[in-house]
Amino acid sequence: MSPEQTPSTLQLVRDARSWLLRGRLPVATAVALLMVTLVANLLIAENFLTAFNIRSIFANVIPLAAVAVGQTVIVLGRGIDLSIGTIATLSSVVTVSLVEPLGLLPAMLVGLGSGAACGLVNGLLVAVVRLQPIVATFATSFVWSGLALYVLPPGTAAAPRMPDVVVQGYRNSILGVPNAAWLLLLIALSWLVLKRTALLRHVYAVGGDEQASYATGVRVVRVQIMTYVVGGTYAAFASFAMLANSGSADALAGGNLTLVSIAALVIGGTRLSGGAGGAGGTIIGGMVLQLLTSLLVALRPPTDIRQLIDGLLVIFALALAGLWSSRRGGR
Amino acid sequence: MAFLAMRGVDKRFGGVIALRDASLHAERGEVHGLLGANGSGKSTLNKILTGVVAPDRVDITIDGRPAAISGPHDAHGHGVAAVYQELSLIPDLSVTANLVLASEDARLGFLRRRADRERAAEVLGRFAAAFPGGNLPLDVPIGNLSPGEQQVVEIAKAVARRPNILVLDEATASLYSAQVEVVFEVVRELKAAGTLVIFPSHRLGEIFELCDRATVLRNGELAGEVTLADTSESELVELMVGSLARPAGRGHQVATQERAARLEVSGLATDRLRDIDLSVRAGEVVGLGGLAGQGQSELLNALFGSTRVRQGTMEVDGRPELPRHPKRAVTAGLALVPGDRTREGLLPVRPILENLTVPSLRRRSRFGVLSHEREREAARSAAEQLQIKYGSLDDGVMTLSGGNQQKVVVGKWLLTEPSVVLLDDPTKGIDVRAKQELYELITALTTDGVAVLLNSSDDDELLGLSHRILVFFEGRIVAELTGDGLTAERLVAAALQVASA
Repeated sequence: MSPEQTPSTLQLVRDARSWLLRGRLPVATAVALLMVTLVANLLIAENFLTAFNIRSIFANVIPLAAVAVGQTVIVLGRGIDLSIGTIATLSSVVTVSLVEPLGLLPAMLVGLGSGAACGLVNGLLVAVVRLQPIVATFATSFVWSGLALYVLPPGTAAAPRMPDVVVQGYRNSILGVPNAAWLLLLIALSWLVLKRTALLRHVYAVGGDEQASYATGVRVVRVQIMTYVVGGTYAAFASFAMLANSGSADALAGGNLTLVSIAALVIGGTRLSGGAGGAGGTIIGGMVLQLLTSLLVALRPPTDIRQLIDGLLVIFALALAGLWSSRRGGR
Repeated sequence: MAFLAMRGVDKRFGGVIALRDASLHAERGEVHGLLGANGSGKSTLNKILTGVVAPDRVDITIDGRPAAISGPHDAHGHGVAAVYQELSLIPDLSVTANLVLASEDARLGFLRRRADRERAAEVLGRFAAAFPGGNLPLDVPIGNLSPGEQQVVEIAKAVARRPNILVLDEATASLYSAQVEVVFEVVRELKAAGTLVIFPSHRLGEIFELCDRATVLRNGELAGEVTLADTSESELVELMVGSLARPAGRGHQVATQERAARLEVSGLATDRLRDIDLSVRAGEVVGLGGLAGQGQSELLNALFGSTRVRQGTMEVDGRPELPRHPKRAVTAGLALVPGDRTREGLLPVRPILENLTVPSLRRRSRFGVLSHEREREAARSAAEQLQIKYGSLDDGVMTLSGGNQQKVVVGKWLLTEPSVVLLDDPTKGIDVRAKQELYELITALTTDGVAVLLNSSDDDELLGLSHRILVFFEGRIVAELTGDGLTAERLVAAALQVASA
């Protein structure tokens, strides 16, 4: 029996409709927003098309994109991680402090482990202790940034630095494409790989309907914990990009990545209540936010109102994405 | 020794006993019916088998070996698969993903999508005739299918696990007759292959068509085990109801006959209700009976303006009134005591005082300003009238016992002096004493000339309190019981759509 041989017209229409309504329309919205911000940059920012500018846009978007993809996995499972930016901070100070004594690769492995461990703690608090994700991860965010300050107090004389190869490599190009752009591609590929795992299927299931998933035999608690571990691991990757981008670590950087990561996934069409969306849209959402920042730089507003305008632009993008995708009826 | 044996099953929910020393014995290659009236515990019994409800005591053996089942995952491990009344499908996932959920074919954690899709096509193929044109919607998100198609997928999902024991809990409720035939055909195939199928259903016709034997529960206890070939419909109903004589209700009181109708409804329809005509006189209690979830609750919500009404008219005390919003309903003189009191009936974090006075604030405010004295006075007199046991009116409402909480819900409406009171399963989960006090309260309401519509999942309560009972089936009123017709036998027979018991 091969049912796909004779799809009826009705079936085709059904499929096309569901393709658009379930999932693809929000991504289309994000792509449209990307086009708008791109054109605005081309019109307004004079040096936009220079190689240096393009390289630095990609260099700056990597930490955001990596954290946002991690956040997407957590949100898909109906969770949220308000500590994810500080996990990146902690992982970056751990990594950079260990480069000297251990060497680059072992230091990165420990950094990765610290990110995953932070995620594990968040996951246990949410799924086993059953704290509200917002409260639990907001609390742990102070623990992670407190630990980061302890590991690398600000103003430390002779603060540890990343090897120059890493820093230069991050800003170089291969085949005319900035290395940071290759990394962005790598992040997208990692998502495609992740999407083929049984784990991620279960994340979508739990986010879609936790009770039904449980009744079907999905290990809900284990799945929820794993989303936070995966999220923490992505945060650690983001921390490597932050280190490569600036050459050193700052125990106060990274905190604002949390909110931007949530903004990116909302613009990218991931449902905040879980179960629908994906990291493809999130990466586009991250690009939109980065281009908005670049636009803001080009407009050279007085520094004292810059943050205000930045905030308004993000709200504007969120509202636009929300309005467009809520047009599809329902919510 | 039976293939499946459940013995000594006890389960309490708070103060309510759902099952008491219940049991079930069934063999391989058999379709075994599970029968019982509302609240008989059959749903709880099969949820214990499938691991969704944790029993207080149970002794399960499968194939002669003791089986410890403490969650759905364990149940799957023992070869038990279930189709629930509430679907267990994930709307955003495709049909294929739903069919193989939690039993995906994976290598090193990576899905083997082609293998999953083939398996899904194979199992859903057995149900092909249930889909238009026989095309299987494997890649369509479940949420895009019709309710009947979703139900078929739900059944296929259970079958895909190749269970030894398959529980089909009211599985045919949302199916068209053609789809039912397809499902029955598959059930017969499974039976022939040696599967035990447990089939709890309210549809006696289906039980007789499909089952070999049946277990009947009554009030949480085993009422009997029957071979269907030797049993008549009325014998089954008698087993479900019991032969105990029950005190006559109020059907014999005819004093209300001459009084004016306070509520008149005609031709009312919503998404789930059709052709509802009814009239309630001053001082009359009209019961809404039938199986659970046949539209009784929906009717009360529609009258109160919290469910959208498609068509129909309604009059309160002769004034045309079809509330679009609960606030309008309150102004028109209606009051609703909802079934889920913590979610809809109470402001859980606020004090008793505020909970009592909120709906009637406007009656006592002057230019929008409230007098503390008057609030306190009104609340105190309501609390006294209702015999609410409280420490202080300023205590949080959740500090009260369940029964007293429910009295607060009723009491806050008394302060609005309603013409019509709608009670939606008001005694669910409260103790016997609080029940008795609520019954007295209902009597007091009728003495004051209030018209009462009462939905209850407790048939005895319905029979004891109602002057008349309207029996619901799939969104319509199918029978009206009055006078000598107000008996448990008539009620169950009407609810099950059996000719007569």
